[in-house]
Amino acid sequence: MDSNQKTYTFYVKGMHCEACVLLTESELMEVEGVTHAVSSLKTHTIEVSGDFGWRTPEETARELSQVLEKHGYSLSVEKQEHEKNWSEFTVAIPVALGFAVLFILLQKLGIVNLVNTSNVSYGTAFLIGVIASLSTCMAVVGGLVLSMSATFAREGDKVRPQILFHTGRIVAFFILGGVIGALGSAFTLGPTGMFVLGLLVGIVMLILGINLLDVFPWAKRLQPSMPKFLAKHALGVSEMNHVLTPLLVGVATFFLPCGFTQAMQLYSLTTGSFLAGGLTMLAFALGTLPVLALIGFSSFSIKNSAKAGIFFKSAGLIVILFALFNIINSLVVIGAISPVFNF
Amino acid sequence: MKPLQLALIISATLIGGAILLTLNKSGAQEVPATNNVSIVDGQQIIDITAKGGYTPRTSTAKAGIPTVLRFHTNGTFDCSSYIRIPSMGVSQALPSTGTVDIAVTDPKAGALIGMCGMGMYPFQVNFQS
Repeated sequence: MDSNQKTYTFYVKGMHCEACVLLTESELMEVEGVTHAVSSLKTHTIEVSGDFGWRTPEETARELSQVLEKHGYSLSVEKQEHEKNWSEFTVAIPVALGFAVLFILLQKLGIVNLVNTSNVSYGTAFLIGVIASLSTCMAVVGGLVLSMSATFAREGDKVRPQILFHTGRIVAFFILGGVIGALGSAFTLGPTGMFVLGLLVGIVMLILGINLLDVFPWAKRLQPSMPKFLAKHALGVSEMNHVLTPLLVGVATFFLPCGFTQAMQLYSLTTGSFLAGGLTMLAFALGTLPVLALIGFSSFSIKNSAKAGIFFKSAGLIVILFALFNIINSLVVIGAISPVFNF
Repeated sequence: MKPLQLALIISATLIGGAILLTLNKSGAQEVPATNNVSIVDGQQIIDITAKGGYTPRTSTAKAGIPTVLRFHTNGTFDCSSYIRIPSMGVSQALPSTGTVDIAVTDPKAGALIGMCGMGMYPFQVNFQS
């Protein structure tokens, strides 16, 4: 054994997911001289063994940080206290409340009554899509987009997850809309399936929202991600999580509880042809695109500014509000509690 | 910060436009509640319009008579086109324009509560003995 062989334990700043464990390990193993690297998500540390020459632990930490910098991690010898920045809430809370008031105002004014047609052309399907994206469906799909894009933006992956999400959504709406039209029967989940899906989406959003607040480190362990054994077999370490997740979520939005989506599916069913059904759902999905894209877009235009912390906290609060709205409504629809909201 | 400003302007236009359009229309929406419960050939019919919520939101009817909830839609694409009545196990999609009857064979005295598929538009029928 080499006499310069040493083992150090460093604290990793920015480690927040299962994939991070694999990513930091595999990146450091590539560094010349490193023979062994084991990360721990629980303690936010990495144990590195190898031949580091005559460098001090501090110098080694700095050197290895450079390797991990592009992924948003940095190493240190001393444990860094988690900065909570409670002061950011003084801006984030009014922003989130203002957004909630605007959202309720839009519903109270009866935005859904703007649809005043009984026959659906592709043009009206598009308009219905625009209105749907501003209606209470925003609480479901918009909340999902906001939580997902903000979470990915914080991990440094900004544009690609959004493009994948919208691609998945638009392609799925066309194909599944076409299938509905051709088969003449809708994929209805039934009340129980709807309840389970709605509740699941609400809980995932709640966890992502709490994580975006960045004040409860324990919540990070709850964050859903690819199981480690699956991720290990994927091409790149975090690749799978970052490609497949947005794509699948985009496809899944077809089945999410949103009155407009269901009504459009029922209409596509009556068209009786693959092309007409598919194009109707496609026009609808394109109509929802501007608002949904804006919601996601806000995440990556702000990431690098000094206000990023405020943005993520506001986004987290909005996502939590939407999540509670969805969970309460799921319970109302199943009959567990009496109606709470009255728009 | 340019993309952010652009995003703000576009969203402000969209939301502001929607508010303006709805403000212009809201005057015509307020129809005074007329009697929506009628009895024809021993069958009680409760007419409810489903569009952006249910009108009237609360109806009063007699218990113990075979009853039909008659939902009317006219260009309805929002959540109210999907009826849920948990206590009766009803989940029924309405056509965007048309009429759908939901039978309540033997209504007991008390409140029958229903809502749209996502839960944010409730309606209620108070059956009185």
